[in-house]
This record gives sequence, structure tokens and C-alpha cells, in this order.
Amino acid sequence: MSAFDALNGVEILAVDGIVAVGALGLLLADVAMPAGNKRILGYCTLLLLALGFTATFTLDLTGTALGGAYVGDGFAIWCKRIFLAAGFFGVLGGMDETARIGPRRQGEYYQLLMMSLLGMTLLAGARDLILLMVSFELMSLPLYAMAAWGGIGTYPKRKGPLPSMELPAKTKWHRPAEAGLKLYLVGAVSSVVALYGISLLFGIGGSTRFDVLARTMNAGPVMSLAVAMIVGGFAFKIGAAPFHMWVPDTYQGASTPFVAFLSVAPKAAGFAALVQLLLGPLAGHTDTWMPLVLALIIVSLLVGNLMAVPQQNVKRMLGFSGVAQMGFGLMALLAAGTVAHTSGQKSEGLATLLFFLAAYMVANMGVFFVIEAVAASGRTEDETADEKDSDDTLAVFRGLHARSPGLALAGLLFVLSLGGIPFAIGFWAKVWVLLGLWTAGYGWLVVLAAALSAAGLFYYLQIARSMYMTPEGDLPKVTARMELGLAILLLALLTMAVGLFPGPVMEAARVAVGLG
Amino acid sequence: MSHQTLALFVLLSPLVAAVVLFIVAPLRVRGPVSAGITIASTAISLGASVMLAMARMFGQSAPNVDIQAAWLPGGGKVLSTVGVYVDPVAAPMMVVVALVALCVQVYSLGYLGHEPSRDRGRYFAYHALFAFSMLGLVMAPNLLQLFLCWELVGLASYLLIGYYWTKPSAGQAALKAFWVTKFADMGLMLGLMVLFVKTGGFDWTVPPGQVLMTADAEVIAGLLFLAVVGKSAQFPMHIWLPDAMEGPTPVSALLHAATMVAAGVYLIVRAYPIFSLAPTVLTFMVYLGAFTALFAAIVAVFQDDIKKVLAFSTCSQLGYMVAALGTGSMVSGYFHLTTHAFFKALLFLTAGSLIHAVHSNSLHDMGGLWKKMKPTGVLLIIGSLALAGFPMTSGFFSKDLILEELLHAGHIVPLIAAIAAAGLTAFYMTRVVMLSLFGAPSEAAEHAHESPAVMLAPMALLGALALVGGLLHGDFAKMAGAEAAFHITPVGIIATATGLTGIAAGLWRFSPGKRAAVGSQWVSAPMRFVTWLTGNAPVDRAFALFYRRVMLTAAAGVAWFDRYIIDALINLSGWAVLKGAERFRRLQTGRPADYIYAVIAGLIALTAMGVM
Repeated sequence: MSAFDALNGVEILAVDGIVAVGALGLLLADVAMPAGNKRILGYCTLLLLALGFTATFTLDLTGTALGGAYVGDGFAIWCKRIFLAAGFFGVLGGMDETARIGPRRQGEYYQLLMMSLLGMTLLAGARDLILLMVSFELMSLPLYAMAAWGGIGTYPKRKGPLPSMELPAKTKWHRPAEAGLKLYLVGAVSSVVALYGISLLFGIGGSTRFDVLARTMNAGPVMSLAVAMIVGGFAFKIGAAPFHMWVPDTYQGASTPFVAFLSVAPKAAGFAALVQLLLGPLAGHTDTWMPLVLALIIVSLLVGNLMAVPQQNVKRMLGFSGVAQMGFGLMALLAAGTVAHTSGQKSEGLATLLFFLAAYMVANMGVFFVIEAVAASGRTEDETADEKDSDDTLAVFRGLHARSPGLALAGLLFVLSLGGIPFAIGFWAKVWVLLGLWTAGYGWLVVLAAALSAAGLFYYLQIARSMYMTPEGDLPKVTARMELGLAILLLALLTMAVGLFPGPVMEAARVAVGLG
Repeated sequence: MSHQTLALFVLLSPLVAAVVLFIVAPLRVRGPVSAGITIASTAISLGASVMLAMARMFGQSAPNVDIQAAWLPGGGKVLSTVGVYVDPVAAPMMVVVALVALCVQVYSLGYLGHEPSRDRGRYFAYHALFAFSMLGLVMAPNLLQLFLCWELVGLASYLLIGYYWTKPSAGQAALKAFWVTKFADMGLMLGLMVLFVKTGGFDWTVPPGQVLMTADAEVIAGLLFLAVVGKSAQFPMHIWLPDAMEGPTPVSALLHAATMVAAGVYLIVRAYPIFSLAPTVLTFMVYLGAFTALFAAIVAVFQDDIKKVLAFSTCSQLGYMVAALGTGSMVSGYFHLTTHAFFKALLFLTAGSLIHAVHSNSLHDMGGLWKKMKPTGVLLIIGSLALAGFPMTSGFFSKDLILEELLHAGHIVPLIAAIAAAGLTAFYMTRVVMLSLFGAPSEAAEHAHESPAVMLAPMALLGALALVGGLLHGDFAKMAGAEAAFHITPVGIIATATGLTGIAAGLWRFSPGKRAAVGSQWVSAPMRFVTWLTGNAPVDRAFALFYRRVMLTAAAGVAWFDRYIIDALINLSGWAVLKGAERFRRLQTGRPADYIYAVIAGLIALTAMGVM
């Protein structure tokens, strides 16, 4: 085998290539550009992401590359679409806030975002333990920095070639820094744990390649330990309880548009990694991992739904509700695992998971952008989110329907979608997950999940109540800036259109996992 | 343009108009803008509908347009579709709906010209919604979409009846119409459920290779027919229709005469493959339809309000259609639906023109208007002749066809009732004409003016169709694969003679010389009792009694259960959730070290689970 054999089929990495080259190009452009407002880099990023997204449709990305370590299949391509779309909306909706936090340094934010996306897209196709772990870290590390992005704060306005490296005297920006630090600390521990689990897998199976591992691994106490560590490590990334502690703090502290991205893309990536491992080399060992997933589901549903109820800060509340939503995602995985266990096939459950992740992305990003739009309109040029501590309590939504009917309507739509009300996209996601679970024989879990998501309506509808049923008082009118407004509009249209016609999208998801 | 595109235009142009007007408030609050958008969209629909219909009637037979998008998937299978479906059955109805809608919208420009701009804007937005829903109903590829649009049509009707929202009676009428038809709609919903259970779909044809048992078909058809009774105002659920006359007169012309109430009849036409498997329901339809035809015709004779006369007349004519469909002849009922749409819309619009002139609905306040309003008068007479089945008008062809079918099917008692109703129809229309046009002029009528051209032009168009619409009978016959349908028969001669007798009796009784003939004072005391008995009061009272005694009692029981059992449980669980959440909340300390402990604790728990 010559060194060049490894390059066979490398064209299926085209999308990853676009992202990688884009990230480096942004870095170069950032350096080459004269100092000043570098908003143009944001538009370049949008263009690159749109290009990559289009490429997932126009190019044939199926096949094997890197000597079998990387595979392009329907599932991977669909995941890439979710990542790229989340990145696109994240950049579009966050453009103003990014530019406001650091007009001269915004290029860095986009480079980090692209790097993180590169990790995700590679992760989606990884069929090798090393590639999986490396791309997982490539995804995670930029996120830590991005979470703290607001913490760098605006540099004091002064002319000069380079900004000073010392922090300004008025260090009021601890919130985002705290968010970033917590994300990093818990994330680092989890990565270590997952890595340890993966190295145990290598120890049992004697290879890093999934196809080999699937044949050589035997069940036993060591495998149980390895699986527990892997499930726990990745559960951190998707924010499933009890590995969710970072979620509310980070959501509350980090800048809202970044949270919109953080709350969907890395979670989808975490699911991709779990699917890759659990339904790949571990597909034959469902007895080992399904009880663990089941435990995560129950704890996530309980903790997420119960903890969300008393929250007054909307971002915190959405953090906890996200924990509950991840329980739903894991239920789709569980259903897929049951089928894999009984008939050894890929199943409806995977398609459901893909649809669920897409639906969750659309509605969740939407609701964060609505929060951002409301909060941003009250912000002045030099002020950071931290200075207005009441920025995102439920109270800021008071009477939004009178202050901005369009935003209120979009917000209502997203909240209904998250709550699973027909006919929004999230309703179908929930229905399919529960339907799949029922068929898989978990009737009691369906009842529990349905009851808890009914309880979940309580906190979701609090947002709606605040928007529609409380007087606006002397709160000012709200207008979303252009890019942010466009992002909200697109997401709202998606929520509604797919909610009314879920058929084609679901069909596409089924085709992606190989069900025709 | 391909037929597919045309069909989409028919449906989408009013949809776009409705969505734009409902969302973009600045357009909606400006009356002329809103009117322009709505009328333009309806005109596009009409143009496309006519092109589609021309290719399917008059001897042409273009292939059906069938565009369906998957909708409601479940478990990897599509439960239903939505889309547009144009076949020779749907095509004429599309033209009727779009045409009458356009006429009425143009007419409304004049009729509501004095209303505030803001209110007119709202009015036309409702019209756009109605046009979309009604066309969606007509072009539905399956009964589920038909049902959705059926409900939307009900909503549009509610909004339009309640247009004069400052008038309490209008609000009440809107509510009454809504509740009565909603009650009936339960039948449609249940019928669809049974249909789905029995055939696995919402198609109006039984899928090939499947057999629908007669008993099942009876149940489905019976439930669907309940909805028809409500929507098409058949006894005893006709009570909402006269009250619905509280809405603006053009609305009555469009919804409560020509199109919406005919939706029930159209449902039977569409679902005929199912109805034809249910002989008991068909027979019941004949008797109920004939009874309604006669009953409503009697009531119409005693009304003083010109719109109420026409409303009861509509009930009566819908009864004819239902009876005709019950004989197994889809064509005669459908054909009468079409001609009735033309002449009844015309009659309502002429009535609106008279009301516009004297500012009153009452026949007392009219009289002598012939001298002031010749064009309206001529059109009123044309409409009345068509309704009375005067030879060679459109109503003559369609009504005779129905009577003939009743005879063929051997339903003699309903046939006699229908012929009697035809005589009464001629009588009460002659009464309306004589009192309003030729009676002694009232004070209000002294100052009457002819309506503007924008109102007269749509009336003239409908008048022309009311005269010559009968010529379409051959095309309708071909729809069912029969030869030209109309020929002169003994029944036809008897019916025509009865009609002419009715006209003659009306002319004699209400001739201008007889002053006492104004209003209902001409009715003797026993006849007044008949009026009361046949009017709305007893039926209303029966419904009210049922509501109070049965429904409210049951509701009280349910309410008790809800308040003391269900609510208590819900409050208990809410309390438990909040208490539990307080406990959990303490775990979220905010200290990173604690979070890492949590991760490790979770891991230990998972590992323990895994190893055990």
C-alpha cells in the first residue's frame, strides 16, 4: 500500500475542504486586511457556508476515503447539512453582535467558527477512533474560546495598528468569561473521560477502525466500563443530564447568537458521534449500552423539565429545556438501537433522529434570535450584554406583540414548535420519536415523555404569555436589525413550511439512512 | 400555460390575496387597496377556471388535472395528500364559485361604498379568504382537504355574517350559524374517521380491489349527510340561514345562496360513489329534501322581509337538490345547483339594490319602485321567473329535470310535495315582485334612486346567465355519461302549469289595486298560526330546550368532575413540580468544581449500571 492509496476517494471530503480552506482563507484575509471594521469577513463566511451547503446537494459525496477511516453516507451528509445550516444561521443572526463586541477582531470569531464546523463535518464521516476523537476536539476547542468571546470585551477606542493586549480597567465582562471557563473545565474532563473510554475500546478490539472493532470486540466488564465512559463523555457534549451542569450557566453567560449556535450544532455533532460508535462497532452490544442511554433519557427528561419551570432568565430556562429535548433525541437513538438489536438493521429511528435534530435546530436557533433581537434593541453601542443584567429575563418580552408584532409572532411559532404543538415542525419531530419508541416497545417511556413534555408546555408558554398577555408598559418598540431579522424570518418560514408539509423532509431523512 | 399551472393559479391567487391582506395591515385598512387586490385575485381565478372548464365541457375532454403533495405522513406512509384536482365534476363548480364571487365583490364596491374605508378593507380580506377556502373545497383531491376547506368556509361565513359587528343581532346570528353548522360538522368528521378506518384513506371513491360493505357505507353516508343538513340548511337545521341575513346583502348572495350553502350539495356530488352504496340514506334524502322544499316554500310566503323570503326560498331550493341527489341522479341535482347559483345570486343582488334604495329590508317600505329603478326591476323579474321555473329560463330546465327523476325513481309523495312547492315558489316570488315594484309607494320609496353601474353590471351578467344557463343541461348530462337530458314530459307540463298558476294567483292577489295586500296583514288568524308554527320559533325553541335540559345538565356534571377531580390532580402535580424543582435547583451551585463532581458522580453511576 503506497502512501497515495490513502488519497483514493478523497473527493468526498469536498465539503470539509471548502470549510477548511475557508477557515484558512479567512485567517489570511483577516491578517491582510487593513485595521477597521471587518464585517465583510462575516459575509465571506456566509458565502462559504452557503457554498458548502449547496455542495452537499450538488456533489456526490458518498464513498470511502482515507483508507476507510472516513465514509460518506446519507447520514453523514445529512449531518453536515445540519452543521452548515446552523453555522450559516449562527453567523447571519450574530453578525451585528459579533461586530459590536469587537469590530476589529470579528475575523477571529469567524475563523474559530469555521474550525469548529470543520471538526463537526469531519466527525460526521469518521469511521476511525483517532479521527473521531481528533475531529471531536477540533470542534470543541474553538467553542471554548467563542463562549468567552464577549469576555474579551470591546477594546478601548483608540487609533493604532494593534489593539493593546491588557484588559481595560473597567473589567465588567466577567459573565462570558465565566461561561467559557465553565464550558472548558467540564468539557475537558468529559473529553478526557471519553478518550479514556475510546482507548479502552482500542485495547479490547486491537484496532482503531470501526469495521475491525465490530468483529473483534468481546463483551465484558472492560467493555462496560469503556461504554459507560464513552456515553458519559459524549453526553456532556449534547448536554444530557447528569452531564448538563455547564448548560444553563454557559447559555446565560455567553453572547446570545453564539448560544444559538452552541445549543444546536455541537449537540447534533455529539449525536453523530454517539450514533457512529453505538450503532457502529457497538451495534452488536446493545445490551451493554441501551440501559445507560435509557438512564440518561429518564434523568434528562426529569431534570430538564423540572428545572426549567422556576427559571426567570429565558436563556437559562431554554438551557434546561434543551436538556429535556436531548432526552427526546436519545429516545430516537434508543428506538434505533432496539431495531438494531432485534433485526440488525438501520432503522426508522435514525431517520427520526435526523429529522428531530433539524427541527430542533430551526426552532431553537429561532427562539434565541428572538431573544437577541429584543435584547439588542435596548443596547447601546458600547454597552455589553452584561451591563444590562435584566437583558433576558422573561420580563423583557412583556407586550412584545404590541412592540413588534412580527417578532412576537415568530417567537410564538418557535416556542410552539419547541413545545410540540401542531402544526409546527417540532410537533412532527416529537410525534415520530414517540411513535418509534412505541413500536420499539417502550410504551411506559412514551407515556412518561408525553406527560413531561405536557409539563414542558408550562414554561414554553410562559414566553408566549409574556409576549401576548402582559401589557407592554413603557417598554420601547423593537426592530430587529437586517441580518438578524432575515435569519428569524427564514427560520420562521422553515418552521411553518415544514410544519405544514413535513412529508418531503421526513422522506429525505428516511432516504438518507437507506430506507427508501 | 399548462392546465396544471392554471389550476394552481385558480387556488393560489386568492390564497396570496388573503395572506397578504391578513398579514399586511397597512393594505388591509385601506378599503380601495384591499378591494383591488381581492377583485384582481378573483378575476385571475375566474379566468383560469373558465379556461379549465372550457377544455372539459362542450364536448371537450381534457385529461384531469391532479397535483397532490404528500401530507400527514406517519410511520413511513402518507396518510393523506393535499393539492388541486380538476375533473369534469369540479370544473363547472369552480367557474360558478369564481364567477359569483367576482360579481358579488364588484357589486360590493357600490353597495358598501358608504362604509368606512377600514371596514371595507376587512370585508374584502374576508372575501379573499372565502374565495380561497371555497375553491380549495371544490378542487380538493380527497375528502380530508375538502373537510379542512369546509371548516375554513364556515369561518369565512362567520366573519362575514358578523361584519356589522356593532349590531348585537349580527353577532348573535354569526354565532348561531357557527354553532349549528359546527354541530353538523361533527358528522363530517366522524364520517371521515369511519371512512379512514374502513378504507384506509380519505378518497371519495372506494379503492379498487376493496369492498365497502353496505352497512359501512350507510354509516359513512349518513354521517356525511348530517354535515350536509347543517351546511345546506335542511330541516331542522335550517334555522341558522334566515338569521344569517344579518350580514351584508352581497354576502348573502355569495355565501348563503349561491356557493357556501351549496357546498353541502357539492359534498354529496363529490362523494357520490359512497352515497350510491347507501340506499337507505338516499331514500331519506329524497323525503327530507322534498319536505324541506315544501316547508320552506310555505314559510317564505309569509315573510315581510325581502331577504327572509329569499333565505327560505334558498332552503327550499336546496331541498330540491338534495331530493334530486337522493333519487340516484347526480346530474339533475348538480345542474340545479348551478342554475340556482346564477338566479339566486341575481335575486339577492337585486334585493340588495332595492334595500340600498329604501334603506330597509321590509316589503312594506318598498312599492312603486318600478318607476324609479327600471333596470333593477327588469332583473328582479328575470330572476323571479327563473326561480319560478318559467319556460325557457334556466330554472325551468333544472327543476323539470328533478321532478322527472323523482317520477322515474317512483317517489310519488315527494314528487307531489315538490310540484306543490313549485307552485308556491311562483306565488311568493310574484308577491315579492308585485309588492316591491308595483305596490303602493311608501314614503321611503319616494326618494329612491337607481343603483350605480358598478352594482348593475354584475347583476346584468348574472341576469343573462339566469336566462340562458339552462342551455348547459346537455353538458351536465354528459358528465354522467347520459345523452342530452332534457325533453318535454307530462310531469314537466304539470309542473309548468302549476308554476304558471302560482304566478297568476300572485298577480291576482297582489295586483296594485288591492291596498290591503301589503305585508302580512292579508293573512287570516288561522293562517297566522300556521306562520308561527312553520316559522323559526318552534324549532328554535326545541333546540333551546334540548340545549338547556340535556346539554347543560350533562355539562354541569362534566364541569363538576373537571373542577374537583381533574383540576385538583393538576394543581397537585403542579405543586409537586415546583417543590421538586426547588430541591433540584440547589444542585446547580454555579461552582465549576461541583459540576465536575457531578460529571464524575454520573460516570460512576453509569459505570456501576454498566458493569452490573
